[in-house]
Amino acid sequence: MPADIKSSPNPHRHASLEGNVFTFQSEADRIEGIDKAFDYRGDVSITLRNEQVEGYIFNREPKATPPRIQVFIKGSEEPRIIPYADVMAIAFTGKDTADGKSWDAWVNKKEHERQAEADRIKAESEAQGHL
Amino acid sequence: MVPISQAWTVASYVISQKLKGRKRYPLVLMLEPLFRCNLACAGCGKIQYPDHVLNKRLTPQQCFDAVEECGAPMVSIPGGEPLIHNEIDQIVAGLVERKKYIYLCTNALLLKRKLDLFKPSKYLTFSVHMDGLKEDHDTAVCRDGTFDIAVEAIKEAVKRGFRVTTNTTLFSGANPAHVREFFDEMMTLGVEGMMLSPGYTYEKAPDQEKFLHRDQTKALFKQILQNPKKSWRFNLSPLFLKFLQGDLDFECTPWGSPAYNVFGWQKPCYLLQDGYVSTFKEYLESTDWDNYGNKSDNPKCQDCMVHCGFEPSAVDATFGSFSGFLQTAKATMGV
Repeated sequence: MPADIKSSPNPHRHASLEGNVFTFQSEADRIEGIDKAFDYRGDVSITLRNEQVEGYIFNREPKATPPRIQVFIKGSEEPRIIPYADVMAIAFTGKDTADGKSWDAWVNKKEHERQAEADRIKAESEAQGHL
Repeated sequence: MVPISQAWTVASYVISQKLKGRKRYPLVLMLEPLFRCNLACAGCGKIQYPDHVLNKRLTPQQCFDAVEECGAPMVSIPGGEPLIHNEIDQIVAGLVERKKYIYLCTNALLLKRKLDLFKPSKYLTFSVHMDGLKEDHDTAVCRDGTFDIAVEAIKEAVKRGFRVTTNTTLFSGANPAHVREFFDEMMTLGVEGMMLSPGYTYEKAPDQEKFLHRDQTKALFKQILQNPKKSWRFNLSPLFLKFLQGDLDFECTPWGSPAYNVFGWQKPCYLLQDGYVSTFKEYLESTDWDNYGNKSDNPKCQDCMVHCGFEPSAVDATFGSFSGFLQTAKATMGV
């Protein structure tokens, strides 16, 4: 299970799992880790029994027989189906696209614009002797 | 107002589903041919994917297959921004050929440039994303200048004879007076009608502080919609407008607006992503519907009053009984 959960700068936003690695010691671990990877909006690196693949987990079917995930492997058009049992570990290696950084940048930009406007009005008022 | 042919098509479709005894039937297919967008709006949780996923597209044939499999009389094409799709003209032409009423949802940044790709038709409506007056809209979509571009595109599309509606999502902090002023301005542009909805509490949306709770939604829409001006026209069921104001209560109809995208048929609805299946039949039959809706304990559904879940409920109520029809007639006449 992950040792470190990164915190998001926005307290209302969910903590990002980017950079974490889940290794599975039990079936419960595996189900939980796959659920988190399914919810993650970035690529993950999946360690299988005999190989490692990197891609986006867009579906998980825990009630299927056998339980399975569906992954868009980077560079491949067709989704790949992987049984739960073959998944040994999942690393959250891709950028978390839902980390809200573009929004933070927009908010910062607008705050800077507002501050610049306030500074300009203050300077103009001072120059005109109104302050 | 929607054309009579569209109203008739929808009414006869719903009544035929009722007569066939179908408990669950789709009303509007939400067809997402791509997730790539040219904006990153504060309240949107639809587009946060790695690049290789954002680069995926549904082909026109995949779109046609989904539309035929689903059978809904109306098709909404959101996304992502559908006008980015290189084959969007073919997709639209194919759906018009199939006599589907299409709402192409666009932020209109590319609309003026791409209008030549389309022919005016009673089957095609451009549903332009407008979240308020200039400052409110540009803030909601996180890009200055977007409102002006969209207004220009709306004018051009109306001038060329296209059906155009606006599509507005409201969040906490919306100023009712500004929204009413916004309605006035949109109607002066000559749009056919306006669509409204509270935003859905997307977990993946960048701004998590502006989503409305259920009581806030009702209070806000009551303030906005009381004493509506005669000039305002809404492209919504009258009962849905009453529902938004808290005058009526409906349970969600998630299968009423099923979503199909590059992952498949999305369970259970356009807003929640609990998994995907490859056929519409499997979607209807394998989704555990009791887990969703306001009456369920699902926290993801508790504050939802969104158009795609409750407009189908309102339409079903309208045609489900004589009293529903009478209620709609009264609401239409403002009685």
